Amino acid sequence: MQNGFVENISLPNFPLWDSLKEKKKVVSFDLEITSRCNNNCRHCYINLPAQDKKAKEKEIPLSFIENIADQALDLGALWCLITGGEPLLREDFTEIYLSLKRKGLLVSVFTNATLINSRHIELFKKYPPRDIEVTVYGVTRETYEQVSRVPGSFERFRRGLDLLLEAGIKVRFKAMALRSNAHELREISDFCRERTKDYFRFDPFLHLRYDRDPLRNEEIISERLAPRKIVEIEQADQQRFDGLKSGCDSLILPECEDKVCNHLFHCGSGNHSFAVSCEGFYRPCPSLWHPGCLFDLKQGSLDSAHNNFTPQVRQLRSDNQEFLEKCRRCTIINLCIWCPAHAYLETGFLDAHVKYFCEVANARKEMLGK
Amino acid sequence: MGPAFSIEKVYRRSQDVVARDIQGEFILIPITSGIAEAQDEIFSLNETGRLIWERIDGKKNLKQISDGLKQDYSENSQDIEADVCGLTEELLKRKMVEEVTNN
Repeated sequence: MQNGFVENISLPNFPLWDSLKEKKKVVSFDLEITSRCNNNCRHCYINLPAQDKKAKEKEIPLSFIENIADQALDLGALWCLITGGEPLLREDFTEIYLSLKRKGLLVSVFTNATLINSRHIELFKKYPPRDIEVTVYGVTRETYEQVSRVPGSFERFRRGLDLLLEAGIKVRFKAMALRSNAHELREISDFCRERTKDYFRFDPFLHLRYDRDPLRNEEIISERLAPRKIVEIEQADQQRFDGLKSGCDSLILPECEDKVCNHLFHCGSGNHSFAVSCEGFYRPCPSLWHPGCLFDLKQGSLDSAHNNFTPQVRQLRSDNQEFLEKCRRCTIINLCIWCPAHAYLETGFLDAHVKYFCEVANARKEMLGK
Repeated sequence: MGPAFSIEKVYRRSQDVVARDIQGEFILIPITSGIAEAQDEIFSLNETGRLIWERIDGKKNLKQISDGLKQDYSENSQDIEADVCGLTEELLKRKMVEEVTNN
């Protein structure tokens, strides 16, 4: 026998990450518990109205979620992200959250914070989340509600956020950079960084709708910033720019020009994480909505989805010459948000070239002076 | 100060901690506040720690747990008692185990 029985480990230094990855084990998963939202954001890829009865009826019940969580634990999962839509719209949010916590999962929650009330605060104080990520659409009522399109939502967001911060709940911030709030991005960034020591990120890349709704997609496209503007705001954010600059050599890969590989998936999609939709469909990656990449967990096990289905998806290949020439051999693919999942959302095909992505990637390359 | 620690006392594992074996790594995950200092912290038990943790069942006192381990492992009995007490005290300090009282 020996001494020194208990060791505190901070998560980033957890030695299991490497061995889990080596053994193709699951580390984390996203659980979308609703696609409904009480905001109606112009750029959102998933939101359905809060009162959408049909959508509500299709949502996976607590018992199904518990079953999925048990299976995920068996696969090694340690971390679960509860997301939506707006997850706090679920009347059984507390039960879902507690159930995942009690199973020994580290739980994060994505929310717009507008529905946070004193009961949530009590819950999070007693059973702390790993973090709560709040999206900030604007820091003035005018800008916020220009994006959310719900009168009164800014005030509710501020109240909910203040409740979280006053209670000392660990909050992270995210902002989407849109045409509707681009003029306020600096203020949004300052607002977020003043309120967290931990983490703030902004995302100028707006995904199209998972349901491929053409009218909503037009709205999203109209909110996209021009490539030059994206580069401008990336350059203005010292932290982000430094990151791009320092990673420059690994982001631009001249050797790609000689590549002949026709595999679609070169990312880690599905290897150590997955997403479950609010209707119970497994996806190797949260952005991957191609019908051929969905696995119905009402019909089969998570083990089968992760260990049999995902490898099949990852084996998919392309014979689209335009894609193979333009994207697969592209030296700046790492500066591009192209991936099979995003290509599908844009075009209906997993292996299509996307002009807008290409323009952004080239603008970023120019910014980096390459 | 908490109640006095004793080898004659019975302790049980806290319900506010979940023990998991992931790929042979035995970890304790706190689910309530007040156990880990940060939400980003988990605890790993070594092999000895795991053996003892699994025997802290709310029924046997630490002396009985040590005796059981002595029977199963031919180790120096003083070392075993020291290990059992050392770990339990450490876990008690972290509120990962609690004393069982008759009332």
